[in-house]
Amino acid sequence: MQDPGNKKTGLIFFPAFDWAISPTHPEREERLLYTRDQIFEEGIMDLPEISEYAPVLAKTHDIARTHFCVPRVEDRITEAHLIAAGAAILLAEEIISGRLKNGFALVRPPGHHSMRVVHGNRGFCNINNEAIMVDYLRRHHGIKRIAIVDTDVHHGDGTQDIFWHDPDVLFISFHQDGRTIYPGTGFADELGGPKAFARTINIPLPPGTTDESILYIVDNLILPILEDFKPEFIVNSAGQDNHFTDPLGSMKFTAQGYARLTEKLKPDLAVLEGGYAIETALPYVNMGIILALAGLDYSSVLEPDLQDLRESGEISGYICRIVETHLKNWEKRDEAFAASQTIKGDFFQEKKRIYYDTEGISEYRSEKLRICDDCPGYLTIETSASRHFDSSGTALCISIPFTACSSCSAEAHDLYEKTKKTREYRYMYLQDKPQDIFLSYDFNTGKELRSEG
Amino acid sequence: MYVGVDVGGTYTDAVLLRNGAVGATAKIPTRSNLLESVLEALDIVLKDVDTRDIKRIVFSTTMITNLIAGKKYDKVALLLIPGPGMNLKYYDFKTDVIILSGAIDYRGREIVPLNEREIEEALVSLAEKGYRKVGVVGKFSPRNSAHEKRVAEIIKEKYPDWHVELGFQAGPQLNFPRRAVTTFLTCATREPYNAFVNSVKEALAKRNITAEVFILKADAGTLPLENSVEQPVETIFSGPSASTLGVEALTPPDVTEVAVDVGGTTTDIALILDGQPLLSAKGARVDGQLTQVRTLAVKSVPVGGDSVLELAGEEIVFRAERLGPAYCMGGPAPTPTDALRVLGLTSLGDEGKAREAMENLGSPLGMSALETAEKVTDLVVSSITNEIKKMFKEWEQEPAYRIWELLHKKKVKPSIVVGVGGGAEGFIKRIAQELGCKPVTPPYAAVANAIGAAVARPTLQLSLRADTEQGYYIIREDGIQEKISRHSFNEQKALELAKERLLQKAAGYGLKVAPEEIEITYQEVFNMIRGWSTVGRLYDLTVQTPGGIALRVEMGGK
Repeated sequence: MQDPGNKKTGLIFFPAFDWAISPTHPEREERLLYTRDQIFEEGIMDLPEISEYAPVLAKTHDIARTHFCVPRVEDRITEAHLIAAGAAILLAEEIISGRLKNGFALVRPPGHHSMRVVHGNRGFCNINNEAIMVDYLRRHHGIKRIAIVDTDVHHGDGTQDIFWHDPDVLFISFHQDGRTIYPGTGFADELGGPKAFARTINIPLPPGTTDESILYIVDNLILPILEDFKPEFIVNSAGQDNHFTDPLGSMKFTAQGYARLTEKLKPDLAVLEGGYAIETALPYVNMGIILALAGLDYSSVLEPDLQDLRESGEISGYICRIVETHLKNWEKRDEAFAASQTIKGDFFQEKKRIYYDTEGISEYRSEKLRICDDCPGYLTIETSASRHFDSSGTALCISIPFTACSSCSAEAHDLYEKTKKTREYRYMYLQDKPQDIFLSYDFNTGKELRSEG
Repeated sequence: MYVGVDVGGTYTDAVLLRNGAVGATAKIPTRSNLLESVLEALDIVLKDVDTRDIKRIVFSTTMITNLIAGKKYDKVALLLIPGPGMNLKYYDFKTDVIILSGAIDYRGREIVPLNEREIEEALVSLAEKGYRKVGVVGKFSPRNSAHEKRVAEIIKEKYPDWHVELGFQAGPQLNFPRRAVTTFLTCATREPYNAFVNSVKEALAKRNITAEVFILKADAGTLPLENSVEQPVETIFSGPSASTLGVEALTPPDVTEVAVDVGGTTTDIALILDGQPLLSAKGARVDGQLTQVRTLAVKSVPVGGDSVLELAGEEIVFRAERLGPAYCMGGPAPTPTDALRVLGLTSLGDEGKAREAMENLGSPLGMSALETAEKVTDLVVSSITNEIKKMFKEWEQEPAYRIWELLHKKKVKPSIVVGVGGGAEGFIKRIAQELGCKPVTPPYAAVANAIGAAVARPTLQLSLRADTEQGYYIIREDGIQEKISRHSFNEQKALELAKERLLQKAAGYGLKVAPEEIEITYQEVFNMIRGWSTVGRLYDLTVQTPGGIALRVEMGGK
């Protein structure tokens, strides 16, 4: 977003060679080993266009500004998570301050399946690195409009959940059709909450989609929408599992395709998400993305087993249609209230059931959004999670958005104070983003913890 | 007895250490013939010494630096086998480069085979251009050197008298562009360096010196003179190694200190953390190009005791240039040394002349001699301390790739600042004050570099990589590749194998090393999992003989 001039591309490479979900899990120590070998052997870190940074740890308050970790942040994360989130924050700050042209946080563990409420690990993710970084920028640098483009083969359901009601954060995700892959969501009709219609755009893709179709979507849908939305900062959730060799996905994307995509999208910051073809894809895709961000020629970054990849005519036809549909949705974005039938009085209500695949947790949520004419409204979430028939009790989460009006803020604080006097819940949290305060209350002990940014 | 000789750009210094104390020192101007300088200094300290009592002689020379800076070598071409990846237009290897087909991947597997006809054509074109020296460098060749070796065979067949250097030996670390540069420099310098080594050997023989002779490297280790011809480029920039080791030998053990070597027009700064000289995370920059040569993390600030001072508008500035000695010592222009003299921080030269120099410099700004001298000293001190602070910061911010490493990175603060070299004395107190440290100017500070050379210990390093899925291990430096059993190989065996190979190598160099002395400097094990089962393990190990200093020098200050 800044004038690129001769500024550098910032790189944080944090492979977490001592962290794994389990020894044979795809999200394990070895994942970025061959990427390291390739980057080092190519001398990427010596290039005058690249500047390598050491990561720093995010603070637990930075996590609490975005997530409700039950019971506490410390119970749901490890140091590796703080490092990955800290890396994204550090690069974003350098970019916003004008010291870098753009950046790539080549870090693990990933985060785009982590939702607002965190009971454990789902889809290899505990906390959402991009969302934490975005909220940090809004708090500390007064950034308002942000776009997140998720290019992982899996739907970025965590990021979608966090910004569902937020009209200032545009979330666009293309991914393999949810009927054929985890997490089974991300359909074209998921378009955002009543006050943020079309600020969520999902483009499910049939298995077998190639570079050509993905780049068509970028040119004809994503770039025109970004042009209209005029974000101050663009984030790319750079998953690499659309690659034709990925063991979890079934797409036909190549390293060249990813590099072209990056070149067109011009994200301010790319953050690594998934990608599990650790030998056949990651070394090449990562290198392609780095070179594209740095404005360098990536034309010789070619996978050894590259073949002629084609897709069926049916796919191309479908792609044209979904682009049309979404362009229409985008035009209607300000004609409010998508699902008015669910609004009862002053509140919009939704119930959700969320499954945490890694840990076998089922979460039940009941959400209420305060409908307000002056702001996006505060959100309350009643959440309970059961692990093998063992329920953790119910927690109440209250979130006041950055642009909340004073009466919504006051009402949310009232609710928190009133609820304290009841014994309805096990835990209660209040996330006051405008004041950057986080309160957590334990009903068993009557203890309140407070943190401020 | 130990002898150290450091041939610097301006002076050649030598010391003789007898029973851990300085027995004799020499300081002579460096002549254009390096060998003459070495021998002249050597003869001074060896006067009245029975040469049979000398146990070891260590040289540190600017031989390679001069060769490269003066481009005093035959032209060298590069045959590169880069395969897919980075576009080569971003690298300038400053010579003729021919790209060959062929590619190896990060695990040492062949992706694209060589094309022998293409190689032969390349050789013909090099021959036509008059090349007789060639560096052959492949991407990922340290993981599999077969392509490089095959090209070398073809050259040997067609042009048996050509001099060929292979990338996997000259540049065994992962970094292809730096490997190409390091291979080029190795190829360029080996022959003249060989000649230098032979003449040193002859001269020593003439003096009946039978002591073991070593040469100091940029990483503060040493190599037997005989073996140094294998990696001549590693002996570049050994001057800062010499003074850093000298500081280590002259100060108490295990401290965190800054070594400041103030010369005529440059000041070299090195860090010693908990008694260990800090190595640079990346290889040395030689003649503007990045190499794989391991080096101490030394920074040079372009200011010294003889730098020329002048006015630029309302500001006093220094030029990185020497017009002669300080004004107070009969030189033509005001210098930092004159400022020190006015402030009583040095006893060099004539006080009246120094005052005159400062007055002339400061009067257009309405400043007295004393004020000017203060201003000049502040200027020099702040440019040195800024660089020191930057070095500590850079060290703290060095990337880490493991959670453990990142959490254990701690802020370090030096406790003493040690001044060595001719011009250090006057500045060191002020530098230490600025950094909140204790200033130390050890006795023999002026020949600390030669002391450092004398006490340097020989070091050898060896890297082993084993891939149990592919069923072989390689010794990176030697290109040895042997089979291993997929099932019974483990971390313990990898370590034993590396140590055994290192001991063999040491024996070949005539070094006595006890197995328990071997240090493990790098150790990495990865499970390779395909699908949901373990198909093999990758082991990466680096072992070395202990480096550092052999002894501390008595009366070494505190």
